Amino acid sequence: MNEGNNMAKDPTRETLKKLIEHSNATFSADDVLREFRITKEKRNNRKLLKILEIISKNQPKQADNLIEAAKLLEKKDPFYCLLNFLNHYSETNIMQTMRKKDMSSSTPMLAKTMFENGTPDRVSEIKERVVQAACGGLSRTAQNNNSIISAGLLSTTPIPSAMPALGGCSLFPSSTKNNSRIDALWDFHNIENIQFQQSNIAAIPLSSQENLLLYDLIYCLTGMRGSYITPELDAVRDGNLQAFSMKFKISEQIHSSLRDIAQEILPLASHYACIQQFIQKATFSNCSQVLQALSEALNNLIHDYYLLLAQLESELNAGNLTLHKMLFYVRPTLNTMEVLAGAVTLIVANELRGGQALTLLFNKISALTGDEESQKFLIQLTQRAAMPYMNILQLWIQKGVINDPQQEFLVEDNEVIRREELPEHYSADYWEKRYTIRRERIPCFLDKVSDIILRTGKYLNVIRQCGKKVTPPQTMNLQFSPTNQNHITVIQNAYRFASKNLLEVLLKENDLMGHLMSVKRYLLLHQGDFITQFMDACEDELAKNVDKVLPMTLENLLGLTLRLSSAKHDPYKDDVHCELLTYDLVTQMSKIMNNEEEYWQTHDRLDLNGLECFAFRYEVKWPVSLVLNHIAISKYQMLFRQLFYCKHVERQLCKIWKENSIAKKFSPQAAELYRSAFTLRQRMMNAVQNLEYYMMIEVIEPNWHIFIQNMSKVENVDEVLSFHQDFLDSCLKNCMLTDATSLNRSIFKMCNICLKFCEFIQKSQRFFLDAELTSMMCDSNDEENSESDYEFASHKQSESSMAPTDTFSERVKRFDLEFTGLLIGLLKQINDVASDNPSDRFINLVHRINFNSFYNEQMDKLCAKDSMMGHHNHQ
Amino acid sequence: MPSEIITLQLGQCGNQIGFEFWKRLCLEHGISPNGVLEDFATDGVDRKDVFFYQADDDHYIPRAVLLDLEPRVIHTIMSSPYAKLYNPENVYLSKHGGGAGNNWASGYSQGEKLQEEVFDIIDREADGSDSLEGFVLCHSIAGGTGSGMGSYIMERLSDRFPKKLIQTYSVFPNQDEISDVVVQPYNSLLTLRRLTSCADCVVVLDNTALNRIATDRLHIQNPSFSQINTLVSTIMSVSTTTLRYPSYMNNNLIGLTAPLIPTPQLHFLMTGYTPLTTDNDQTVNVRKTTVLDVMRRLLQPKNMMVSTGPDKTNHHCYISILNIIQGEVDPTQVHKSLQRIRERKLAQFIPWGPASIQVALSRSSPYVQSSHRVSGLMLANHTSICSLFERALGQYDKLKKRGAFLDQFRREDIFKDDLSELDDSRDVVDCLVQEYEAATQPNYLHWSAKKGQGE
Repeated sequence: MNEGNNMAKDPTRETLKKLIEHSNATFSADDVLREFRITKEKRNNRKLLKILEIISKNQPKQADNLIEAAKLLEKKDPFYCLLNFLNHYSETNIMQTMRKKDMSSSTPMLAKTMFENGTPDRVSEIKERVVQAACGGLSRTAQNNNSIISAGLLSTTPIPSAMPALGGCSLFPSSTKNNSRIDALWDFHNIENIQFQQSNIAAIPLSSQENLLLYDLIYCLTGMRGSYITPELDAVRDGNLQAFSMKFKISEQIHSSLRDIAQEILPLASHYACIQQFIQKATFSNCSQVLQALSEALNNLIHDYYLLLAQLESELNAGNLTLHKMLFYVRPTLNTMEVLAGAVTLIVANELRGGQALTLLFNKISALTGDEESQKFLIQLTQRAAMPYMNILQLWIQKGVINDPQQEFLVEDNEVIRREELPEHYSADYWEKRYTIRRERIPCFLDKVSDIILRTGKYLNVIRQCGKKVTPPQTMNLQFSPTNQNHITVIQNAYRFASKNLLEVLLKENDLMGHLMSVKRYLLLHQGDFITQFMDACEDELAKNVDKVLPMTLENLLGLTLRLSSAKHDPYKDDVHCELLTYDLVTQMSKIMNNEEEYWQTHDRLDLNGLECFAFRYEVKWPVSLVLNHIAISKYQMLFRQLFYCKHVERQLCKIWKENSIAKKFSPQAAELYRSAFTLRQRMMNAVQNLEYYMMIEVIEPNWHIFIQNMSKVENVDEVLSFHQDFLDSCLKNCMLTDATSLNRSIFKMCNICLKFCEFIQKSQRFFLDAELTSMMCDSNDEENSESDYEFASHKQSESSMAPTDTFSERVKRFDLEFTGLLIGLLKQINDVASDNPSDRFINLVHRINFNSFYNEQMDKLCAKDSMMGHHNHQ
Repeated sequence: MPSEIITLQLGQCGNQIGFEFWKRLCLEHGISPNGVLEDFATDGVDRKDVFFYQADDDHYIPRAVLLDLEPRVIHTIMSSPYAKLYNPENVYLSKHGGGAGNNWASGYSQGEKLQEEVFDIIDREADGSDSLEGFVLCHSIAGGTGSGMGSYIMERLSDRFPKKLIQTYSVFPNQDEISDVVVQPYNSLLTLRRLTSCADCVVVLDNTALNRIATDRLHIQNPSFSQINTLVSTIMSVSTTTLRYPSYMNNNLIGLTAPLIPTPQLHFLMTGYTPLTTDNDQTVNVRKTTVLDVMRRLLQPKNMMVSTGPDKTNHHCYISILNIIQGEVDPTQVHKSLQRIRERKLAQFIPWGPASIQVALSRSSPYVQSSHRVSGLMLANHTSICSLFERALGQYDKLKKRGAFLDQFRREDIFKDDLSELDDSRDVVDCLVQEYEAATQPNYLHWSAKKGQGE
């Protein structure tokens, strides 16, 4: 507007100069302007009139124009009056030029639609000038502006109307609606002392009635009580905006045809009041920034609305306005105002703020498809209302800082303690919890990017926390427009930037891949020799009941193993720790499956030994913990537990293999006795090892291969996260750790029967194998060391407690039955699952275990629903 | 706390292949001939401590015990650039230096006499390791020292260290040429008995097959010992890669051997290797080698290092297979290759139990450049190995029938009273052959040995 002021200087001043020249007056154009700019309190209308009279000397129609000026001076701002006056003498239409300039530069929204050509345009320009004059060229806030405008417009209104807007917040808190209403002088305030002139007008001619009614209407549209139009009191007194479709009563004296037309116009007054009330409320400083911005935008619209009124009034003064004309003029505005009032009402009624208010506005836009004009206003309005929100957003996605005094932003910073006060190993939890999305605060147009908005700022914070400075490559221009998706692009770019930067920090500075390899080494058993050594060291401890296992002992043994094994070269070996979970893997699975309360809850924890509860924990610091977060680690742990358990079974089987290898010394006749046990052990070994091979070589290793390939061309952190997740999920799935068909339970059972068998063989070893050996040695008269004390004792013992030989065979047979039943069941189960999901690898495991079709017959039998008893025996 | 392995090298052959083996290990681990880690190998992620230990000055010393009754080979070793590699205290040379005269009984007796000194060395070595896993014995079964003294030491080892594994790399004599050792059939049979009852796992290195491979496949006329021994050292080093470059599986000796050996007697393994090339072979890189190629070739008899002779009835079968694949391997290929082999029934397996091809993907040394993308070693337990024992039995029977050359055996303590040791050994080997034959049948589980018909 100030811009317009400068440009306006030419026509106004020129006309003024011309007049002064003509009149031979002694003062300059600037003097005149200064006089007319003097504030109302000090001015002297007569003096101003005198000036006008002097400068308009020798001009045509001087008398008429002076009378008009006098009238305007009574009611209006003197500058307005001056401009109006000058307009009569100007060759070029002062206002026209001004208006054009203004149009091209900024605001008028409503004004544009009002009068297409001719004199009314002048009025608009005059109004413009008036506004500028009233502002005194000062840049004040819009609210203040507005108050003064209204003051200017309604010169009968006492000036302090501007005051509540300025001081309202302290004097009248928004909570007390009624209080604030007192000062809302626009709000059809009934000023007790002032009696409006209420002469009987029923008698006067219709045209005069119309004129009076028009004046009254204009008053009314500015929120003043008119002489003949009065608001229905209850509506006014009810402060609730919801009930703000205000009704007006038009004096019965007015002819009914006029009344009808007036009633059509009057809703505008109601809308105006509604919007105005909203603006008043929104000015309080503890109000949502979005609402403040919205009210500012509304204010601008209201300002245009005033222009319309001013134009109407000036038309009326010129005698050119009829009710019909007026209705015609205000109709578009009526529409728009209705929409705005509706939106505003909803916002207030539902106490919407921030994002929700924006959502409402945004939705209104699409609802207005078809009503282009209103839609356009609403778009602009929404754009402006979104500005503070977008500023917060921009700061967040550019710097990772939240400046959100009114708690409107969709990301919330929950930081309660400062980082320095956190323990050394502050967890990923910290970062997951520090910034959270407040779903209810998301404007709908940001809904689908809300997640990346959160992460953008978070990543920036991460990078900063890592001690790095982030300088965005270009300046960001984040603006919301409901009509395009530019803001989305900007957000995405910012996100890509942050993500890419963090990726570099992760990959280059924090050696993510190194950490992942390290995790793979320990948690996926890739470093087999370390696992073997660790199991050697912890075997006794882990065999205990989990409640008796001393975590410290485990931790010490782990540390020792890490330092003594080939793991000592791993720079991240100290990230590995021991963890004893309170449940076994199957329970963990069930928990994930959400059916924990069924059967496994009854499973007593005391039954578990350390081995079943054991897992490695891998602790990493931020920002690596972004990838190796606790979810990822628990997935690794699930894989680990299954692998570890299988490894344990394999080791036990190997152990009895070594112990049994003594049988090679037996006579061939004796060896036969044990052959069924040995071949059963071999079948167990085959199953367990193939399971391990399958998981390690066919699942983990190829998936890791793919993961590494993906990682080599990764572009941002989210790809890393998703590739890593894919890797883990694929591993879990193919290791049978995700399915609901309880494959893993079958595996677990199979492992347990193997362990029981090992235990049995180890116990029997003393009684059978050594006995065999001893007797054989005695037979062969080998006197060297056959009668050592130990062997003698064991021989004795075996004689006393040894069950008949067939018991051994029978027990082996029973183990065989049980194991084969479980294994065939498992194979069958895998077959079934695999036929449902041909894309999965499960079937490979069946092929591996049944490589030489050894189990075909039994599987066929099972498929044929034969009884379980028939299955085991392949002979 | 690695699972250490002590290598015992016995006799001329044992020390020669042992020498090649250590040379190869040094190369692969970047250890210089005098035991110092090369500069380029300092960041190694390999496990040297299985086969080496570090002296106070950090240089690497093989966990090897070199034993011989005659000085020739050991002198050659001790005058080679690798002389300083070995712990001189571990090199034991019989003072009397006359050797065993290719006589098993002589070697056995001398072993008995020297056992205290020998076991001083072995015990010291065993005490020096944190968690000794086992012993690896390198010897030939036909000579005197390796077979006789080796037999004695094996017996004592299995008594003294019942919980430790005994693995042997046993060289079987070349059947294609007439041996200058006339008592070779006796020596072989007597050693085979010990290999059957004392060793946990025997890797059979058949000189017949090795020579044939050298001449037929590698086109070497009259292959030298060292050329043959290069083949042997390759097999020995590759079969231990999973221990030295550990990965998911097979990273200790027991994990490597246990799955291969279902019942204690059937513990004779044959090996196969591909691609077989010599240094000057230019025809190697004509095509891209895939895992399937390697695995398929490993199943071909011509790549086997054991000459089993034609299986006329075609009834022999694999008891177990472990393929150690090295090189640039896409892990996804493993499954496809296995699938192909299974579908095409490229390998015949035992009918009495589950058997499969295990594939261990092993890292290989970064310091030894191989011209092959993929290479593979097969360790297989195949019933046809018994043809070797049958052959030994046949030769023994022929010689024994004539009662030839028994005098030099009678001179030694063990045959002082009678020759029952020979007969017992024959029974054991015969029984072994029977068991291998039985293992081709579905009713192996209920098979029982018949008393041999020898004598």
